[in-house]
Amino acid sequence: MALLSFERKYRVRGGTLIGGDLFDFWVGPFYVGFFGVTTAISAILGTALIFYAASLGPTWNPWLINIAPPDLEYGLALAPLREGGFWQIITICAIVAFTSWALREVEICRKLGMGYHVPFAYGFAIFAYVSLVVIRPLMLGAWGHGFPYGIFSHLDWVSNTGYQYLHFHYNPAHMLAVSFFFMTGGALAFHGALVLSSVNPGKGQEVKSPEYEDAFFRDSIGYSVGTLGIHRLGLLLALSAGFWSAICIIISGPFWTRGWPEWWTWWLNLPIWS
Amino acid sequence: MQYQNIFTQVQLRGPLEAGPPVPPSTFDRGNLATYNYWIGKLGNAQIGPFYLGTLGVASLVCAFLAIEIIGLNMWASVNWDPIQFVRQLPWLALEPPGPEWGFTLAVPLAEGGWWQMAGFFMSASLILFWLRTYRRAKTMGMGTHVAWAFAAGIFLILVLGFVRPLLMGSWAEAVPFGIFPHLDWTAAFSIRYGNLFYNPFHCLSIVFLYGSTLLFAMHGATILAVGRYGGEREIEQITDRGTASERAALFWRWTMGFNATMESIHRWAWWFAVLCPITGGIGILLTGTVVDNWYLWAVLHSFAPDYPSTGVLDPATLPGAPR
Amino acid sequence: MTRSLTIAAIGGATLTLLAGCDLGPKDSVQTGYRGAGLAQIVDRSRVAEATAIPPAPYPLPPDEGPRASETYQNVQVLGGLSTERFNHLMAEMNQWVAPPEAGCNYCHNPENMASDEKYTKIVARRMIQMTQRINSTWASHVKQTGVTCYTCHRGKPVPDFKWALADGTPNPRSIRGNRRGQNAPDPNVGYASLPSDPFAAYFAGKANIRVASDNALPSADHVVSIKDAEKSYGLMMHVSSALGVNCTYCHNSQSFRAWNLSRGQRATAYYGIRMVRQSNDEYISPLQSVFPANRKGPHGDPYKVNCTTCHQGLSKPLGGVSMIDQAPVLRGPLVTPAATEAGPAGSGAVLDALANPGAMTGKNEPAPTPARQ
Repeated sequence: MALLSFERKYRVRGGTLIGGDLFDFWVGPFYVGFFGVTTAISAILGTALIFYAASLGPTWNPWLINIAPPDLEYGLALAPLREGGFWQIITICAIVAFTSWALREVEICRKLGMGYHVPFAYGFAIFAYVSLVVIRPLMLGAWGHGFPYGIFSHLDWVSNTGYQYLHFHYNPAHMLAVSFFFMTGGALAFHGALVLSSVNPGKGQEVKSPEYEDAFFRDSIGYSVGTLGIHRLGLLLALSAGFWSAICIIISGPFWTRGWPEWWTWWLNLPIWS
Repeated sequence: MQYQNIFTQVQLRGPLEAGPPVPPSTFDRGNLATYNYWIGKLGNAQIGPFYLGTLGVASLVCAFLAIEIIGLNMWASVNWDPIQFVRQLPWLALEPPGPEWGFTLAVPLAEGGWWQMAGFFMSASLILFWLRTYRRAKTMGMGTHVAWAFAAGIFLILVLGFVRPLLMGSWAEAVPFGIFPHLDWTAAFSIRYGNLFYNPFHCLSIVFLYGSTLLFAMHGATILAVGRYGGEREIEQITDRGTASERAALFWRWTMGFNATMESIHRWAWWFAVLCPITGGIGILLTGTVVDNWYLWAVLHSFAPDYPSTGVLDPATLPGAPR
Repeated sequence: MTRSLTIAAIGGATLTLLAGCDLGPKDSVQTGYRGAGLAQIVDRSRVAEATAIPPAPYPLPPDEGPRASETYQNVQVLGGLSTERFNHLMAEMNQWVAPPEAGCNYCHNPENMASDEKYTKIVARRMIQMTQRINSTWASHVKQTGVTCYTCHRGKPVPDFKWALADGTPNPRSIRGNRRGQNAPDPNVGYASLPSDPFAAYFAGKANIRVASDNALPSADHVVSIKDAEKSYGLMMHVSSALGVNCTYCHNSQSFRAWNLSRGQRATAYYGIRMVRQSNDEYISPLQSVFPANRKGPHGDPYKVNCTTCHQGLSKPLGGVSMIDQAPVLRGPLVTPAATEAGPAGSGAVLDALANPGAMTGKNEPAPTPARQ
């Protein structure tokens, strides 16, 4: 694969965390590094196991393939492969692959002299995943509380796990997470649109400067967060969405077992009302 | 940490920015503007100046009326008790007309008419504000991308509160105004129509919602990470590529074998964010009109996972069972 | 300084939020296929405790000797019972229902025990008939565990958990005090803002609980509003709270409607709902003219039963302990030998009941035409 016109001058040695120069090379556009090797091994192993487990199942319909965690009775023990053991090994592979990927990003950041924002942000996604398949199952004492690997079967898990608390929309952390997701979507739409509207102003118009961007938003809502600020705000909103998603599932079960609407009785019972 | 560009280290103070001059119009921008130190930590410290404009004033009036109608109805529902209004606020609602009213255009106020009026003013407020963003962009010689992104969101709101009730012939299908009540509506909607998770457009909408969040995390983090090279000056980077743009592109190329450019990432962003309410709105429009039970529809189209049958039969189909 | 204050504030807020939470050890029980999120997770310290079972007043005497109808006057329901057994049941009712300070006199005039002058005696007679009806025809719900007076009363003249028609909206044409039957934090529906009186519609009336269609595509035969779905959801919140279980105790929410995804417990609940309707419609509501005003709700209807009346936070009332052997006459006259052969309570027993529901209800009708539910 051809290099980008400016790419050669950036492809320099160094910046690795581990392994020195040994894995410091590229394959096509991909940087490898020690963590690229561990990513590849764990991702290939995990994917192969998914295919193998699927081949033992009743269907090759991609919507229906379901690789489920063990029954709750296995607790935190290992289960036979076909009764949740595949799920357990695939989970380990996934966690190794995700973590390796994040560390590989760190190496690329170091190579390019960039800040570590991307791997830091990616860490929130890993945290959310680990919350679902490790932290909460550990707290509840059984791997069977993890979600199954399947396109629609994982939605059934989401639905049923929600109905374990009668009405999951009343979960305060879920409320925060959903709000942050919506805010992130809105902010992304407006940021993308604002940049596009400045550099694509229509026939016969000059490309507009950030002063116009600021003025457009100040005229619209009285405030413009600015070119740097919008990226801080966007990152903050997006990470908050992921963080509160993880919290909302960690508290469901380990810290609250009844219907979520009932949780709000603390508010009704505050001493300030009488 | 200070090199990670998380907070503004040095804030400048000088004459407040007034913005590029606008062509003569009824309203001026005014010069009401101030600095705020804490907001300046994250983004621009300057708040204001404010621009009202005819459309802005009209939109604000409509929004005020809608909020007033909703709030007063909620307050009345607790017998005008101010303490209970605050205490029970999350539970309170302004409900749409009941199913017995069908799609009657003017329902008596206490039986849903207030809801219709609040919905009307809220829609009017949004549409007036939409016109305002469109006209602002035109006046300032910018593209109208913001207005069209905003329109996608308005589309979803109108679908939920007007178009689908119209197609179903019943206002009762619409969403109530209220914090918990609108969550009840969402859950009941899914239960009534046999599990919304099996609505393919709901799936797409969620994909775009999560995708938008992922994109903003990736994009925001990338720009902050190349902030030391002036990466946040995106327009300059688009028109005259610099090392910030090059490093940002190479980061993703080396990570996942593919990269956007400084301009195209904003197209990705715009489409992901805009498609979320559009696909969601389509999913809502199809529910009840074209499909009545999404789970059964998924079974028909072979995408509902099959769990071992419990062997339980519907008692209502058994001879002699009570009905 | 600012930093430590911030940390203290965040810590304080976290502790406040956690204080209301379930922090004790948890128990989980799987209720369906693995990995589908079908489980009951309970905090051990939060499980409702079963009320202690009172000891029998004295050992149950044999059903021998003269009949109650021969010994006493005006014995309309239990006349065929031996006098010894009759006296035993009266002693039990004293213990199970009557306030200790009143004793027998709660229902009887001590001067003339046969007199029906006290309303409580008329009610008690009807309630004995209701108990017999439940035990004899609703094995689909009460299994062989059966119910006694104590299942509801727990030693009190009026059961703790009951319902009457709700106050309602003072004037539906005004917004003042008008919540449209919902939007209040009501324990009936687990504090959600769902319609808060599911009882009138479902436990006195026979409103349709099933809201999802049995057809993928819309049809004119199935016009059900989202408002109906909210009402049905409200009823289910009541059932869950009453039994101390969550939705996945009966349902796989992949499809709430599909029976082949539901557990046998859902069929038990199906019969339970019909049992409650019958108890209210045929036994309690007709006593409206008998009850004094202080035993009736704001609309003048007597207090009726719902799931909590017996269950009180447990999936099996009184922890599943059967008291029926202490008062065998409450099994009622229609008990069938086939029913006694049903296995222990559990999914097996549920399926047995399902195989021949006619035996439970005494109605062997032809299969109804499947109507759209």
